Amino acid sequence: MDNKERKVMLRLENIAKSFYARHEVFDAVSDVSIDVYENEFLTILGPGQCGKSVLLNIIAGLEKPTKGTVDFPASSDTTMGFVFQKTAVFPWKTVMENVELGLQIKGTNKKERREKAQYLIELVGLKGFENAYPYQLSGGMKQRVGIARAYCVNPDILLMDEPFGALDAQTRYQMEEEVLRIWQAEKRTVIFVTNNIEEALFLGDRIVLLSACPAKVKEIYIPRLERPRNNIDPDFLALREEIEANTDLAL
Amino acid sequence: MSNDVKVSVRNLTKCFGDLKVLDNISFDIKKGEFICVVGPTGCGKTTFLNLLTRLIPQTSGEILIDGEPADPKKHNISFVFQEPSAFSWLTTQENIEYGLRIKKMPEEYIKQQSDKVISLLGLDRFRNAYPHEMSVSMEQRVVIGRAFAMNPDLLLMDEPYGQMDIKMRFFLEDEVIKLWKATGATVLFITHNLEEAVYLAERVLVLSAKPATIKAQVPINIERPRKVSDPAFIEVRKQITDMIKWW
Amino acid sequence: MNAKTSKLRDLALSVVSILCLISLWLVLSSSRPDFFPTPQMTWERFIELIEYPVSKVSILGHIWASLRRVVIAFCYAVVLGISLGIAMGWNKKIRAAVEPIFESLRPIPPIAWIPLVILWFGVGEFPKILLVFIGSFIPIVLNTMTGVALVDPMYLSVSRVFKANTLQTMIHVVLPASIPAIFAGMKASLSSGWMVVVAAEMIASKSGVGFLITRGSESYDVALILCGMILIGIVGALLGVVLTLLERWLCPWTTKKEK
Repeated sequence: MDNKERKVMLRLENIAKSFYARHEVFDAVSDVSIDVYENEFLTILGPGQCGKSVLLNIIAGLEKPTKGTVDFPASSDTTMGFVFQKTAVFPWKTVMENVELGLQIKGTNKKERREKAQYLIELVGLKGFENAYPYQLSGGMKQRVGIARAYCVNPDILLMDEPFGALDAQTRYQMEEEVLRIWQAEKRTVIFVTNNIEEALFLGDRIVLLSACPAKVKEIYIPRLERPRNNIDPDFLALREEIEANTDLAL
Repeated sequence: MSNDVKVSVRNLTKCFGDLKVLDNISFDIKKGEFICVVGPTGCGKTTFLNLLTRLIPQTSGEILIDGEPADPKKHNISFVFQEPSAFSWLTTQENIEYGLRIKKMPEEYIKQQSDKVISLLGLDRFRNAYPHEMSVSMEQRVVIGRAFAMNPDLLLMDEPYGQMDIKMRFFLEDEVIKLWKATGATVLFITHNLEEAVYLAERVLVLSAKPATIKAQVPINIERPRKVSDPAFIEVRKQITDMIKWW
Repeated sequence: MNAKTSKLRDLALSVVSILCLISLWLVLSSSRPDFFPTPQMTWERFIELIEYPVSKVSILGHIWASLRRVVIAFCYAVVLGISLGIAMGWNKKIRAAVEPIFESLRPIPPIAWIPLVILWFGVGEFPKILLVFIGSFIPIVLNTMTGVALVDPMYLSVSRVFKANTLQTMIHVVLPASIPAIFAGMKASLSSGWMVVVAAEMIASKSGVGFLITRGSESYDVALILCGMILIGIVGALLGVVLTLLERWLCPWTTKKEK
């Protein structure tokens, strides 16, 4: 791949993060450097409780790195969308109010933001649920709301933090197909964090494998698999086993 | 392995008001068998489990253990749920011995069972640790140890590894197979994960969408240790996936 | 058993338990009705109360007198208490500075303030409203503070990623997230305020439901005491119901799942 030709959206250089708890220093991330290209689907894969969510929070500006820099070479005004775990959809807002929130905060007028939100609600397959509250939705539907909400501010980079971690294995497959369909309809740079190798491999253009704590980049995989990928295809399974063997067991 | 039927489910039906959730389910579990139950999301697996644990009464049909109607007072049914449920005020060893003490087993037998399970799980170092000193996966292993130590007539497991990463999952799945072989327990394991079902089971029960009926019983005759990339494995997995794919 | 019949059963059980209470009253009062009037005597006294004003104020006038004091004080307590509670829950410095004051005032029952307040401000309307305010302010502040401090950090992250300013974060996230805690505080505060107003009226007043009880006690009109007590119970319960309805109307998302 001609990575040199592609536009770099995000550059992480020597990122490290330590937490201080009482008298102990806990290193969550140590020396991570990654370039993320425009419109690529990057999955970050790591075992158990390694520092992968911390890394995502650093990119989003929710936490400051102890060392290293986060750069946006493409534009100094890079907007970001963040899909959290399912509980981050606001229970006190309807589907519509949740989705339009980002634009409302930016001060977009009501008509315009409703139109945009309506488009995204339909894109994620929730037409007819605009006025439903989250308690009326299933786990998978709540996460669709989360995805639409993040997309609604037209982000340059979409960050997803184990969005399907709380779903059952089958709903998870369904949502993985959905997220690819939405990404193909609305191309963005996506950084998707997961602890599920199959998921990382099904989704990612590139897969960054992190070590157990403190998280370091162990290897970057570029699967040469056609989309839509098939998770019982022998090449898929072979690569999955290769990554599995290279993953740390975090007991 | 013997061919004695340990658990026999006959024409089990459950309705909530007008809503029929389970429809005429019949199957047998042999003594010492490892069965996995799979089905599409929302097919009534939880109701099925609650019937087996006798938490709720069935509408019709019966569940027999050793030929008698299942009764929690008489039969020894253990469970492992998705969320670890070790008692926080007991150490690993006390947790594992808990069920045996409730049953007022002789002290010598209790000691022997807990030693056996602790050594199978490799938890010697954590014998005197409390759950809060351990990780979630470690705690779940203690719960599984507790369930096996009871020598249950039937061991029910409900997605015990649902939230674990895959490396951890395979590690724990291998461990549960080891425990099952060492104790000869009769296990019914419920999961959404078809790969997990094929990896573990001697036989997979496939449920249909609501109202759940038994759509197929698929015997898995693949040698252990199984490999997910083995063509025979892929074949069975695909066969079961096609039966329940709704996404 | 379906939902409808089980609802009917629960209603029947409630009616039976109230009937039991009234029977107990009948039995206990039959021996010395001059000390403990029977339900029928109390009812007759109540009818009389409607027809003949006590101290030139009608029964509705007495209820209104008490309610007015509570409602005015409660409005002040809600506005000031929620504002202070949010400030304390949001800003650690404000909390550190102000919380010790509340923690040291909290164990003092509001009724203990009565002598001091009467000494300072006399027996007019203002001191009574002030007493009710003292009784209802503290629960609102402490509940709001706890609610705001316990907002799920993930919700706050959502708002930070959208680059919301503090006001926007308050309106879209912090306030709605802590509404259940605020309402719990308002309910505690209203019932505390209602208790305080009765106590204050019993000590120094010419109107209000508390005054009815004192008047009954002074004139050996035991049935009037009972009427006052029952009125206090009914109005207090109605106030709670009003708040619950208000919460349901304001927060449709807290409606329990209908399966």
